[in-house]
Amino acid sequence: MKQDLIGVVGEDNVLDDQASLGSYGRDESFVLPIKPRFVVRPGSEDEVQALVVWANETLRPLVPVSSGGPHFYGDTVPSVPGAVMVDLSRLNKIRRIDRRNRIVVIEPGVTYAQLQPELAKEGMRVTPPLFPRANKSVVASLLERQPTLIPRYNYALPEPLRNCGVIWGDGQKFFTGESGHGPLDLEQQWAAGLRQVDPKGPAQTDFFRLLTGAQGTLGIVIWASVKCELLADPKKTLFVPADTLDDLVDLSYRLTRLRVGDELFLVNSSYLATLVAGDAAEIPALKEALPPWTLVIGVGGRALLPEERMAVAEKDITAEVAARGLRLLGAAPGLATTRVEAVLDGLAGEPHWKLRYKGGVQDIFFHTTLENAPGFLSTMMSTAQAHTYPTGDVGVYLQPQHQGVSYHCEFSLPYDPTDAHETANLKALFSKAGERLIGQGAYFSRPYGEWADLVYNRDAQSTAALRAVKSILDPNNVLNPSKLCF
Amino acid sequence: MALEEFRADAMRCTRCSYCKWIPFDLVKSWEFSKGCPSVDYNNFHSYSGGGRLITMLSLMDGRSEVNDRVVDIAYKCQLCGNCDITCKVCRYDMNVLDALREFRRTLNEQGQVPVAYPGIIAKLRESGNMIGAPQQRRASWADGLGLKQLGVDGVDKAEVVFHAGCRYSFDPSLRSAVRAAATVLTKAGCDFALDGAEGCCGGKAYDMGYRDDFAAVAKANLERWAAAGVKKVVTPCATCYYTFKRLYPEVGSTIEVLHTVECADRRIKDGSLKLTRPVPVTVTYHDPCHLGRQGEPHVPWDGKEVKIYGQAVVYDPPRPRYIGAYGVYDPPRDVLEAIPGLELVEMERSREAAWCCGAGGSVREAYPEFNAWTAGKRIEEAGSTGAEILATACPGCEKNFAEAVSASGTKMKVLDVLELVEQAL
Amino acid sequence: MALPQEAYQALEDIVGAENVSNDAAVLDSYAFQWLADLVRPNLSHYMPRPVAVVMPGSTEEVQAIVRLANKYKVKVKPHGTGWYHWAAPIYDDRDSLQLDMRRMNKIEIDEKNGIAIVEPYVIHAQMHAEAIKRGWSCTIIGAGCSCSVIAAACAYSGIGPGTFWMGGQAENVLGMEWVAPNGEIVRSGSLGSGDGWFCSEGPGPSVRGIMRGSLGARGGLGVYTKCAVKLVHWPGSTDWPVQGTIPAYRLPLDETFRAYTLAVPSWEAWADAYYKIYDNEIGYIFHRQFNLAGADLAPTFWLMYNDHTKTLGDVPDMIKQPGMAELTEEMRISFQLVMAGRSVADIELQDKVLDRILEEVGGWKVERYCEKDMAEFTNIYLNRLGHKHINFVWVGGYIGSWMQPGTPDWVKEYVPTAIAGLERDAKDGLLVQCGGDAMMGTGGAYPGGGVMGLEQFVSYDPNDEASTRAGIKHMEDAVTDAASIGYPPGKEALYLEMGHSDDRTFKKWANAKQPFAFIFQRKIKEHFDPNDLGDRMYNYIPEEYEPAKKA
Repeated sequence: MKQDLIGVVGEDNVLDDQASLGSYGRDESFVLPIKPRFVVRPGSEDEVQALVVWANETLRPLVPVSSGGPHFYGDTVPSVPGAVMVDLSRLNKIRRIDRRNRIVVIEPGVTYAQLQPELAKEGMRVTPPLFPRANKSVVASLLERQPTLIPRYNYALPEPLRNCGVIWGDGQKFFTGESGHGPLDLEQQWAAGLRQVDPKGPAQTDFFRLLTGAQGTLGIVIWASVKCELLADPKKTLFVPADTLDDLVDLSYRLTRLRVGDELFLVNSSYLATLVAGDAAEIPALKEALPPWTLVIGVGGRALLPEERMAVAEKDITAEVAARGLRLLGAAPGLATTRVEAVLDGLAGEPHWKLRYKGGVQDIFFHTTLENAPGFLSTMMSTAQAHTYPTGDVGVYLQPQHQGVSYHCEFSLPYDPTDAHETANLKALFSKAGERLIGQGAYFSRPYGEWADLVYNRDAQSTAALRAVKSILDPNNVLNPSKLCF
Repeated sequence: MALEEFRADAMRCTRCSYCKWIPFDLVKSWEFSKGCPSVDYNNFHSYSGGGRLITMLSLMDGRSEVNDRVVDIAYKCQLCGNCDITCKVCRYDMNVLDALREFRRTLNEQGQVPVAYPGIIAKLRESGNMIGAPQQRRASWADGLGLKQLGVDGVDKAEVVFHAGCRYSFDPSLRSAVRAAATVLTKAGCDFALDGAEGCCGGKAYDMGYRDDFAAVAKANLERWAAAGVKKVVTPCATCYYTFKRLYPEVGSTIEVLHTVECADRRIKDGSLKLTRPVPVTVTYHDPCHLGRQGEPHVPWDGKEVKIYGQAVVYDPPRPRYIGAYGVYDPPRDVLEAIPGLELVEMERSREAAWCCGAGGSVREAYPEFNAWTAGKRIEEAGSTGAEILATACPGCEKNFAEAVSASGTKMKVLDVLELVEQAL
Repeated sequence: MALPQEAYQALEDIVGAENVSNDAAVLDSYAFQWLADLVRPNLSHYMPRPVAVVMPGSTEEVQAIVRLANKYKVKVKPHGTGWYHWAAPIYDDRDSLQLDMRRMNKIEIDEKNGIAIVEPYVIHAQMHAEAIKRGWSCTIIGAGCSCSVIAAACAYSGIGPGTFWMGGQAENVLGMEWVAPNGEIVRSGSLGSGDGWFCSEGPGPSVRGIMRGSLGARGGLGVYTKCAVKLVHWPGSTDWPVQGTIPAYRLPLDETFRAYTLAVPSWEAWADAYYKIYDNEIGYIFHRQFNLAGADLAPTFWLMYNDHTKTLGDVPDMIKQPGMAELTEEMRISFQLVMAGRSVADIELQDKVLDRILEEVGGWKVERYCEKDMAEFTNIYLNRLGHKHINFVWVGGYIGSWMQPGTPDWVKEYVPTAIAGLERDAKDGLLVQCGGDAMMGTGGAYPGGGVMGLEQFVSYDPNDEASTRAGIKHMEDAVTDAASIGYPPGKEALYLEMGHSDDRTFKKWANAKQPFAFIFQRKIKEHFDPNDLGDRMYNYIPEEYEPAKKA
């Protein structure tokens, strides 16, 4: 087997030392650690395709991964023994930057650290999720449907992901979206003036939608086109403090409805403190100093008349905030603005900010409409209490998505993974909270780890439909088997 | 005329379904967006204006034959004209309402009519009116009003005739409305006579497809009026109004036609009718199809289709559009707003977008359930305005609404516009 | 072809006898279709007649009908308002039920979250009206507000003048409820999990990915019975205070609204203008709409239309009036932009930005069309899109050709060929001669802009065989013309396809650059439609047509 793999990717790109296997075989989540048999690092689309073809011939499971660690949700940990990790980090070319059409075409190994500075040269960026790590793959983030920061640009949840080149589980190469109309060669498409903008199709299937949220179970993406936003300049960050989440609900609805402002999210003091802290020691004091809740909103100017644009946005936001008896501040109380800006504009270093407080974290996240978020919060807190988890440690992050129609609601639970008792307790809390939240109507649209069973058991028809899709795209079930419902 | 005259309309129908709705720009709610009672009640596409064009085409093409269903399709329609005007919002070459009338005429000539029709037309043929009541009692509604009558007491000439119409003449429940109309005009100083030999206008016969009956009645009326020197006919009935104004010129009439609300409006505006007593009510006004949408002036036309720019269809000479732009919408509203203390509120579907009362096209007689349903919908809409009174200017509408109000249990009252004017004198 | 009596009886039992018919005349009102004459033998206006038309009133009734259809192997063809020839059955030799979804017409508005939940016969006009009352608005598809929301969101395109800012229905659709041909009910996203309508993605991979792509199944794979779409903010009056005289109603411009017709001096400037509008994020509704009447005639046509005393026959005289020739040239490359500010400051800024854009591209506001009367007309026209039957105004026949979607830079390259082609094809007078540029198209076919297309509006007389044949020839010419410049076929190919045999169509799809898309769809169909109740409106290629696999 090793020789087969060496034949595809070269000896330097096949790893089977215990350290490497160990690092790919577990992550921060509670999924059962299972080491892969090999790690391979293909350097081209053809090598990726050859690997998948080989996997079909030998019925070896492949688990694709593009980002460096830490990984949090178990999607890149093999769920079966004997897997081959397909580490796509060597496919790291930025294939094309197109300012006029604001489209960048990248390979899966391209990270935010690599991409954003290059795009900045053209006055653009890819709308990021909240404080991604530098080694996070942009394509992976988008395929995971990680929520991005600017609700008004989130025309659909997969935004800004547009077209993909993919090797399906059966080994064939395919282009999604408008690129699917061909020719099946990006250079030829560019020469013909085609720009991989529209994500829909081809035909009557949104193939790219089958790839999002799939945790690498249906295909391995080898390139993606991504819509860019113009960099805002000038820009500033504003803060609306509040005592309770309920105090901010109406304002958040209104601001997203008006599509005013850029970045917009709601965080509690625990989450915000963890986000901006330099180290663990800072966090308790920051939590105390920060308001219990903050709505963070960025304003910026782009294209023509940027200063005026920012000023008008700020004016309109001010009016909305004032109308609700809230305060709009240029800085979060107890926090230097630059720290927040560093988060909004920058990339997380190491150790990962989520891990700084106690060394470990479990996130519970799902989709909801905003009005239901306080109810879910209540459930989370009562479940935490029931498991003697300090509720003051529960971080809450609400990210409006789809221009405000739905929200990513995230509960972040830091803990000390070296403490066996604490870990066991958190595991129980994690499972219980997930169960209760799902039962309450939280929609786990990204069903990682143990949520998969809960989610797919709730929706028999979707499960059947997805299994039909899987049987077509990966008939031999070589891609990340035993994930999701396959 | 024959079905083939409308082949082009059918072939050029795009099946857009605009004919099912009120003009889209005017839609303010889900409930009051519907414009065609027939398709709303019967649902199959055939029951829309466009659907009937296709049905005609299917018959013309020999793809289907006249049967009970086809008769149902053709006649289960109030001929309210909504489909006609909504089609014309975007088209200059379609005449849906004329096509629907031709459809009936064609079927009628074949003896293919709804079960109720022979009984209805028998009334006209046997009694000279659509109610089937003794003609000699026709003017009894005016007892005690001291009105002149042609042919009575030596009155053999009159420039202006007040034509009550069959329903107003014979329906006791509507007596106060027609009496109010005559009273108001008298108080305004109008000089008119009743027609002592008043007969049916023939409008319903026309709509039902009994064209010969219509022609005979129209001829008789016109000859009689010519002999009496009549130059103007005033009527409180919207259907008679439409018939005299739009159908009679096709058979040579040059008589001027006014509805009593138009007279009242003029007299209020020129000061000869003074409304001084407050009538503190909230009123919503229903535009009768024949006074509103179909109440536009008649424009004689005898021309042909010509093409410009290659294939664009126009007419030589230009063909009148009859899109409902010039219906009698403002006079009744101006009259109501001139009444002291009266507050006028509009239904969502008003003016050219008014929902039919249900009675038109002889649906009242031939399809009573459909009729009642249609009227009930309008009563709901009237009720939604909060108005205490539903006012209108047509006996068919008033009768239908009164019955629908009674069936619905609502406290709303149904009155003719001139009854309210009378209260303000 | 007829349905067995017991099957017909069963349909009556399901929906009620008054909601099913197999009367020939009734069936013909469904078989008759616009565009049928361009694709059917002998220019017939009739698509194949269904064996019965049935009108279900609920999802349960739909499911029962579908189960019955499986039993009797009768095809199922649902439609909303049914305005396109693919709404009808497509096979002469196979029995098909026509499902008229008219009785399923309920709407619910979630005011807080800006979501409308609709059944198939809720049309955009109704959704728009109910939204406006509540301070929301919605995107309306290019075919206009007479069309079904579900048809747009689930079964066809969903793109319209509002797509740039409001999204297309493909982006706006949230939960979808689908009765698959096998009788199972599949619900997408959060709806499938019983959590409500608000999220269309997931769980995990998005199930909605198999429900629609560039297009939906056009009735060719099951029946959509409910869906939810997201609404957009409406900063205008909730009264909807329409004025004016039929046909040209007007909507006064609220303080934060503008309705412009803009023009540019060249197609290069046109592309530049679009890119700048995209970058600057101004505009609420962005469309090249009025040009549908043909650049030579449109400026005059719309002024005629706005005068209720005038008719089409007045256009030849009006166009000769002083100033009209100049106006026609001024508007030769023009488009419409409705702007809606969330505040006075916002709209004033948008105005300034627009002025700068015009300055940069050498464009201008067309003064006559920006005067109050035409601005108010533009405002209501584009916001409500209730005049789309004007597509057919000249003589009742309209073909949409070209409209290949791409970036503005890519689209502008086909413009000269499209113009020359229509001028050529209309020269002998068998098509309406309104100038070679009768192109209409949305400013952004995807929210935020980036892709769009321009569609030629070609008018023929469906009552005239020679004109109809000229229309068919134009469509064939358009395919050839596009190929001559290396462009794929446009919208006309979709129309023409309806007249082709299965064999020809399957071969075409097998020759696509990615036949796997159609193979995939066949396999989806095999799973969800084992008894082949659907049709090839949901594109697929049978196994025997699959290209030989490469070694």
